[in-house]
Amino acid sequence: MLLSFDRLGGWKWILLGITGLTAAFLILPIVFIAALSFGSSQWLIFPPPAWTLKWYEAFFADPRWLEAAWTSFSIAAMVTVLSVLIGLVASFGLVRGSFIGKEGLRALFLTPMILPVVVLAVALYAFFLRIGLNGTVTGFVIAHLVVALPFSILSITNALEGFDKSIEDAAVLCGASPLEAKLRITLPSISHGLFSAAVFSFLTSWDEVVLAIFMASPTLQTLPVKIWATLRQDLTPVIAAASTLLIVITIALMLLVALLRKGLKS
Amino acid sequence: MALLTERDNTTAMGKIRPVRSKNFALTVPALLLLVVFFILPVLSLLLRSVMEPEPGLGNYQALLGSTTYLKIFLNTFSVSALVTVVTLAIGFPVAWALAIMPSRWASIVFAILLLSMWTNLLTRTYAWMVLLQRTGVINKTLMGLGLISEPLPLVNNLVGVTIGMTYIMLPFIILPLYGVIRKIDPAILQAAALCGATRWQALTRVLIPLATPGMVSGALMVFVMSLGYFVTPALLGGTANMMLAELVAQFVQSLVNWGMGGAAALVLLVVTLTLYAIQLKLFGTARMEGR
Amino acid sequence: MTKTFIIAAMAATLGLSTAATAADLVFTSWGGTTQDAQKTAWADPFTSESGINVLQDGPTDYGKLKAMVEAGSVTWDVVDVEGDYAVQAGKAGLLEKLDFSVIDKSKLDPRFLTDYSVGSFYYSFVIGCNKDAVSACPKTWADLFDTAKFPGKRTFYKWSAPGVIEAALLADGVAPEKLYPLDLDRAFKKLDTIKADIIWWTGGAQSQQLLASAEAPFGSFWNGRLTALAETGVTVETSWEQNITAADALVVPKGTKNKEAAMKFIAAATSADSQANMAINTGYAPINLDSSAIMDEKLRMTLPDMQSASQINADMDYWAANRDAIGERWYAWQAK
Repeated sequence: MLLSFDRLGGWKWILLGITGLTAAFLILPIVFIAALSFGSSQWLIFPPPAWTLKWYEAFFADPRWLEAAWTSFSIAAMVTVLSVLIGLVASFGLVRGSFIGKEGLRALFLTPMILPVVVLAVALYAFFLRIGLNGTVTGFVIAHLVVALPFSILSITNALEGFDKSIEDAAVLCGASPLEAKLRITLPSISHGLFSAAVFSFLTSWDEVVLAIFMASPTLQTLPVKIWATLRQDLTPVIAAASTLLIVITIALMLLVALLRKGLKS
Repeated sequence: MALLTERDNTTAMGKIRPVRSKNFALTVPALLLLVVFFILPVLSLLLRSVMEPEPGLGNYQALLGSTTYLKIFLNTFSVSALVTVVTLAIGFPVAWALAIMPSRWASIVFAILLLSMWTNLLTRTYAWMVLLQRTGVINKTLMGLGLISEPLPLVNNLVGVTIGMTYIMLPFIILPLYGVIRKIDPAILQAAALCGATRWQALTRVLIPLATPGMVSGALMVFVMSLGYFVTPALLGGTANMMLAELVAQFVQSLVNWGMGGAAALVLLVVTLTLYAIQLKLFGTARMEGR
Repeated sequence: MTKTFIIAAMAATLGLSTAATAADLVFTSWGGTTQDAQKTAWADPFTSESGINVLQDGPTDYGKLKAMVEAGSVTWDVVDVEGDYAVQAGKAGLLEKLDFSVIDKSKLDPRFLTDYSVGSFYYSFVIGCNKDAVSACPKTWADLFDTAKFPGKRTFYKWSAPGVIEAALLADGVAPEKLYPLDLDRAFKKLDTIKADIIWWTGGAQSQQLLASAEAPFGSFWNGRLTALAETGVTVETSWEQNITAADALVVPKGTKNKEAAMKFIAAATSADSQANMAINTGYAPINLDSSAIMDEKLRMTLPDMQSASQINADMDYWAANRDAIGERWYAWQAK
């Protein structure tokens, strides 16, 4: 009865009420930011005295915003590719291997996920200073890769554990080389795991701000760093415009992902 | 490499075939990355905490001997605990509702959940900064409705931090809990009803106990993630709500004290890793879903 | 196979890395409108004259600065820092001595001059008030600390720096000439009385936003930010009573590869014209003594230069010597 919607009785409305309020709570800041970006008040007074598009004009007139967006995107793309590749290989080792310390290694691989990012940021910053990697794309990619890799490993090992290895063996039996069997049988079967590994890796890098604050340089800033700096220094509504554009991109990405998922399933 | 053995040295044909294992080697790229760019830098930071300004435990004495810093530790824990409790209190009913509501409605809520999760962290925090201020929309609305006469202090304090962090953590508890509740067999609850259990009894004696592993695991995750949060408390909290992560950054950035920064980092690290170990002991790595 | 791919990918990213070339100079400041003004008033003319490209970085971060110097990989060539930090860092060996054969120091305000630093611009902490939001505006520091006469939130600069402690002591009745050495116990005791009513601002833009939205209808501000705010149509009242001056300084981190260019840049940035242009854009005051003569009369009247009657100069040497101790106590007090 508790797990049947129609037989919940009065409780149904309580649950629905809480869920509705929570959904409203979750959507509120997103709608608000979009509204704010069209307001004319420079000082974030809301409701604004008038509506305007000038913050969007300012956004597109300032090449630094677009550069930052491009930097973020290219770093996130590189992180995604590397994270999925290294994660895939490591996952095979973790799932198919049996060696002493395997569970310990698995736990170690997931540690960056729960380690406070600020600790890693400060430590990597000091290290990168010595080897000259601060303010380089390589430095950014490495730093983000360290925090993105656990998500890859987690998603891919889960998928691989759910995959019946005897199918791969059957392919080998039928004359496929082991590598061929992996590429043509196993990989397609765990594609959902690879897909979520890619999505999580991309988002981890795309949204990451703490590491990025430490790694950034005059010529290389990601979008979150640009937003952070602007928040602290200018507080201009251009941030709201930039954020709204980001939200629109996010919605577009979500739709794309939903479509792709459908495609993968069929 | 001598340690390696091959679990799958039985082929599908059932013949034993000795294979030189390469499976450990597969983990080497990931391991190398983590050793060079994670373990070594963090260790060298911790080393600085006992080496700077002079060798010894002076930094730790200063850190643990000061009421101010102890207050920051305490604050870090209490904020994280508060956020965990609030998140759980809201997250459980929502996950429950999502698990049973008509799928068309549920997919709308899921879309909102994912959208909020995928929206840039800073953007969300920034929105709350403006929404919650004294002259912000929420206070203005409440005053317009005549519910309050003076603006409520909603930001630059604990309320602001709690709202902002709960907002961020909710998906991390709702999504895994949803999975757990979905897997519960409705027949068990029907059986409870047949045996004469009231709704309330079914909830407290059957549903909640069955969902407890999911709740504990989710709560631990939220708690651990909250401990290390930096941006949200810095922007939505007041100076009295400082948390450990911000202290680390302050030592390094404003006070240029790598020794103390390293010491504060170690405290944060030890607590986090201990809780992580508990999580692993209780649930293994497989349960750590979401982020 | 995978490994070679990874190596190839790494190599590709290395190729994409951007780093300042030897001909470029990196100027680091606090970002925002101030740095934009520094770019327009100093860097752009300097580039067109000398051909040296100036890259802008920010915000200034003393942790980064120290780490760079210690690691011997200095990527910042000229840095805008707080005046007291410049004195301290010079003593700590983090800075290059300035070359005064390139920089003409005879025209520079001696208040802000050391072997390692010259002033960048200077400003006053003044009392600002949003006249539309309140019936009466505080005129003195004592008023600003009087929550009975002026109820409501007030805003102060969050970071440990000259300004707030001085204001607290002046509000408590300490005579300006007896301000230093600062009586910290007394200052914190005075600050305790208004602590619950303080909203801290962390940067100039936030201070403007707090005042304009009346989130905090009054407080202590950098004078230039109030001038700028008034221009956007907000009714701002400024009280210069016992305004407290402090300055930013330009320094060169030790071990920079562009030392010569850095000196040239500082010489250009502190010239009468550059300083006048900077002042016109920001409302802060020039540190070149010849600048005000070439500025518009009306504008000159809004500068701290004109308010020297009850002006108090923060003691940079005192702050440099006690900066760390005050800082620790300050943040500990805030976190209490």
